[in-house]
Amino acid sequence: MVAILGVMALAAVAAGPYLLDTYSVNILVRSFLYGCIAIALDILWGFAGVLSFGQSAFFAIGAYGCGLAFVHLGLSWETAIAGLLGGAVLAAIVAAFVGWLAFGHGVSELYVSVVTLVLTVVVVQILYSGGDFTGSSSGLSGFDTFDIEIETWFWITGAALVLSAALGWILVRSDVGRLLVAIRDNEQRCSYFGISGSGIKILVLVFSAVVTSLAGYGYAAYTDVVAPDLGGFQFGTELVIWVALGGRGTLIGPAVAAVVIDFISAYLSGSLPFIWQLFIGLLFILVIVLMPQGLGGAIASLCRRLWPWPMDSPGVARLAAVRADRIAREHAAPAIELRGVARRYGSLRVLEDISFVARQGELVSLVGPNGAGKTTLIRCISDGHERSAGQVAIQGHDIGRLPPERCARLGIGRKFQTPNVFDSLSVAESLRIARARLEPPSPWRRADEIHLPEAALRVVRATGLDRSLTTTVRHLSHGTKQALELAMVLAMEPRLLLLDEPTAGLTKPERTLIGAILVDLVANHDLCILIIEHDFEFVREISSRIIVLHQGRLVLDGNVEDVVSSELVRTIYVGEQHALRETGA
Amino acid sequence: MPDQLLDVLTTAAILYIVAVGLLIVLGVLKIINFAHGGFLTLGGYASLIVSQLHWNPWLAEPVALVAGTVLGAAVERIIVRPLYSRPLDAILATWGLSIVVVQVITIAFGRGVQFVRSPIEGAIPLLGTSYSLYRLVLLGAAVVLALAIGAVMHGTRLGLVARAVIMNEGLARGLGINSELVRFVTFSVGSGLASLAGALITPLLSVDPLMGVPWLLNAFMLVLVSGTSLISLAVAAFVLGGAQVLISSYGNPVLGGLTIVVLAALILRVRPLGFARG
Amino acid sequence: MSTSAPALEVDRLTSGYGEAMVIHDVSVTVPAGQIVAILGKNGMGKSTLLKTVMGFLPASKGHVRVGGEDVTNLTPYRIARRAIAYSPQDQAIFQDLTVDENLRLGLGMQTDYARGLERVSGFFPFLAQRRRQRAGTLSGGEQKMLLVARALLSRPRLMLVDEISEGLQPSVIQRLADVLRGEREALGLGILLIEQNVRFALKVADRFAVLKRGEIVDSGSATESGIEDRVNEHLTV
Repeated sequence: MVAILGVMALAAVAAGPYLLDTYSVNILVRSFLYGCIAIALDILWGFAGVLSFGQSAFFAIGAYGCGLAFVHLGLSWETAIAGLLGGAVLAAIVAAFVGWLAFGHGVSELYVSVVTLVLTVVVVQILYSGGDFTGSSSGLSGFDTFDIEIETWFWITGAALVLSAALGWILVRSDVGRLLVAIRDNEQRCSYFGISGSGIKILVLVFSAVVTSLAGYGYAAYTDVVAPDLGGFQFGTELVIWVALGGRGTLIGPAVAAVVIDFISAYLSGSLPFIWQLFIGLLFILVIVLMPQGLGGAIASLCRRLWPWPMDSPGVARLAAVRADRIAREHAAPAIELRGVARRYGSLRVLEDISFVARQGELVSLVGPNGAGKTTLIRCISDGHERSAGQVAIQGHDIGRLPPERCARLGIGRKFQTPNVFDSLSVAESLRIARARLEPPSPWRRADEIHLPEAALRVVRATGLDRSLTTTVRHLSHGTKQALELAMVLAMEPRLLLLDEPTAGLTKPERTLIGAILVDLVANHDLCILIIEHDFEFVREISSRIIVLHQGRLVLDGNVEDVVSSELVRTIYVGEQHALRETGA
Repeated sequence: MPDQLLDVLTTAAILYIVAVGLLIVLGVLKIINFAHGGFLTLGGYASLIVSQLHWNPWLAEPVALVAGTVLGAAVERIIVRPLYSRPLDAILATWGLSIVVVQVITIAFGRGVQFVRSPIEGAIPLLGTSYSLYRLVLLGAAVVLALAIGAVMHGTRLGLVARAVIMNEGLARGLGINSELVRFVTFSVGSGLASLAGALITPLLSVDPLMGVPWLLNAFMLVLVSGTSLISLAVAAFVLGGAQVLISSYGNPVLGGLTIVVLAALILRVRPLGFARG
Repeated sequence: MSTSAPALEVDRLTSGYGEAMVIHDVSVTVPAGQIVAILGKNGMGKSTLLKTVMGFLPASKGHVRVGGEDVTNLTPYRIARRAIAYSPQDQAIFQDLTVDENLRLGLGMQTDYARGLERVSGFFPFLAQRRRQRAGTLSGGEQKMLLVARALLSRPRLMLVDEISEGLQPSVIQRLADVLRGEREALGLGILLIEQNVRFALKVADRFAVLKRGEIVDSGSATESGIEDRVNEHLTV
């Protein structure tokens, strides 16, 4: 399908110079380059969720790479390649630095937009102050460049655009593309699957920077002029506007928008430059407020409603079982070991002095009234940054200050209290993401078979998820989302399961089933499971051990019979303050 | 040396005046108003109109304030209100508005740089050196403005209610506070302050349709670094503005222009909440 | 404002989050001048009920009436202005504002703050002395007392109290109970008390209802003998 459209587009490009006048051809060479940049930005923003105002900076780097090479080194094949690679490498380095700054732990998502904006200002100033080397405010112009006809340039950039679109399309349709969307929608959930969202975002930023710098190189080689405001944030924000108008996340929309708007601007820049800009500004506001998915997105959903596009569902995935070969008998170290763990917020002590050990093959229930600190304890186990004091060791490894994705790679699978899933993906795609760390996704294919371990398969089949593999998760019921999250966590093949109220919202038969699966995992697959539950009957049936938390402290830790019959537990649950006993009823 | 000190103080004052409107909007509405630069430009051109009509140049400030507040009220209702739940989109939409404002002004006044005469000219002897009187007036204006806003925030019911909404909007609503009205008033006032700032700084520099942009960037970075505290903003304006002045005089003016944005970006990386408490 | 109409009437209310309904068909009445306690373990829907009454959550079915007037699905600030004092479970006071400022926010109109302050300082004397202190620096018990003082300041006809006894010393709990019962007489105030602490709730309340898995499973007068055991039956197991 992609191939057919691609060939048709190439044919249109080939025909172009014969059908259009020279002025149009001239403009379109440039517009096509902008289209390539728009595609790169859409992958970065529309798919990976990174709003970068600074693509213009990379464009300028690529353009000046060409300009500087030809001005100072003369025109030859060697200098041409040097300029090309130099620009691309520099763009990649700058992008990596920006990514490192912007995607660290605890940094707000606004920060990357801030930093990319600042980048443009810095780049422009550097270019201005470059003296004769960079040509300062007038830039570089009139240098020797490739001696190619306009028509040939048209074919080159047109083909580049078609190629970018085709490759981009393949990428976003592939499993890697779905992974980008998962990171955009719920990076936290991805990190608990062991996927490093920041690492991937840095890669995407670098990739988009390189593509943009190549476009910049082409621009410089063609127009024979480079000036500092190529890198300014006027152009940078203009690119964002084009992508938003075209429809972020549609890939073709932004490309079309970039080409069309640039083309029309060129024609109007003589006669009505300001009114045209005014119109674009108004249109932009309108689109953001009323149609945030952009014109392209609106058209796409309209098309989808009129003709169900076969390209959308590339075959329903099949589920298959994974060999259960992970029964490691050899473990000296306990699954979890906590020593003196505390969590404080200023003077508020949510957890204080928690110490216990849990081993593989144990099913430990964590109980206690609201506010006792149970979910906080789970957070302290699965995220090295969370606790205020104490040590946590998983399978003998001290987690120190490791972020969730590193803790997940130690074998932790965490299920959240309210279903934490990927709303815009399908059930099958969600399961695929859960497997991503064990089976790296492909950047050009969509796997048609999803391998799940037996426990995950059982959950999926028993709750009917295997019949809704193509349903978008957003449309599932609350209980089904719970089941899906559990299945995803099981799909990770964890050694340690942290479950936060896994049965909330499930029916009685579903509860029984989940209970049976958990017991089986512990008995036959040697997992260690720590489960927070309010349903005491459920707890009694499945646990081998119960830990009771009250007001942030561990008050009881023992086997089921002892805990259930203890006076203390009854006291805590009925909420009776022990001193009130003295004041009498 | 005294020259430098006065430069630092007056630069900090100017930055404060420009950024304070952006800060209160961020605090109450939790969005960044990227049209702030557009409102600033509007204020500058209000000043130009007043001077072209040969009115008393001191009228520029009230005219700008009123124009900005009225336009801000309209913008809040039409553009900002639908975007409460989408803060990044609010940035984009207000940026679009900025473009619209710039284009309208360009169509009406042309692209060229124009000048407005200062209401007060000349210099006075101070601390052993002769210093621009208007700049000192601006320093005074910043102090007055800061005190006025502080008085409103801590001394009036409106200020108390606004602070409650800043701290915990849900609780405020549960106590009977009409937070939508508070947002509306805050945005209008914030925009008015931006225009006022534009009118105040015009005599120092010049007016052109793109004047708002560098101020927006600097104000934006200062506000991010200050969190929601007015005092932090004053501190940030002093520290970062001071750094800019020093680097521009002793180092390189180009680097000086970059100081605020680069330093702020680095500070934010290390302390994502900026100077503010907690 | 009719004084014979109940302070609060919850009529077959159903609501929840997204597609998951947390409370189903819940009906509770708080007559004017009475204290009604809603008891239940966590996750059973108590806070959801309160949030729906206050308009923070949309009701999918049923009605909420205050003083006879239907307020279902009005926006929270409008509901609050109908002489209702809402004391949520977490983050119920402004930590960075002073005691005085927190109290002032309890009064919708700035009518006679001085007289109101005098009245509530009668219940909790420490308030008058610590007016300028940041509320966040008060102890847990003092913060709860501030909360109740703020609620009573506006002379409401309905008070919604969410888990006020949590983490408090017995002496403080006793004080709160006395104040609430006292104001109930003086103002004809109706109070809906959400609680986990059964003993405290039954001491204070006139009537009770038990919320389990989002439904009312039992209700009655709180003063009958054997009530505590009857309620505990529902809560343990």
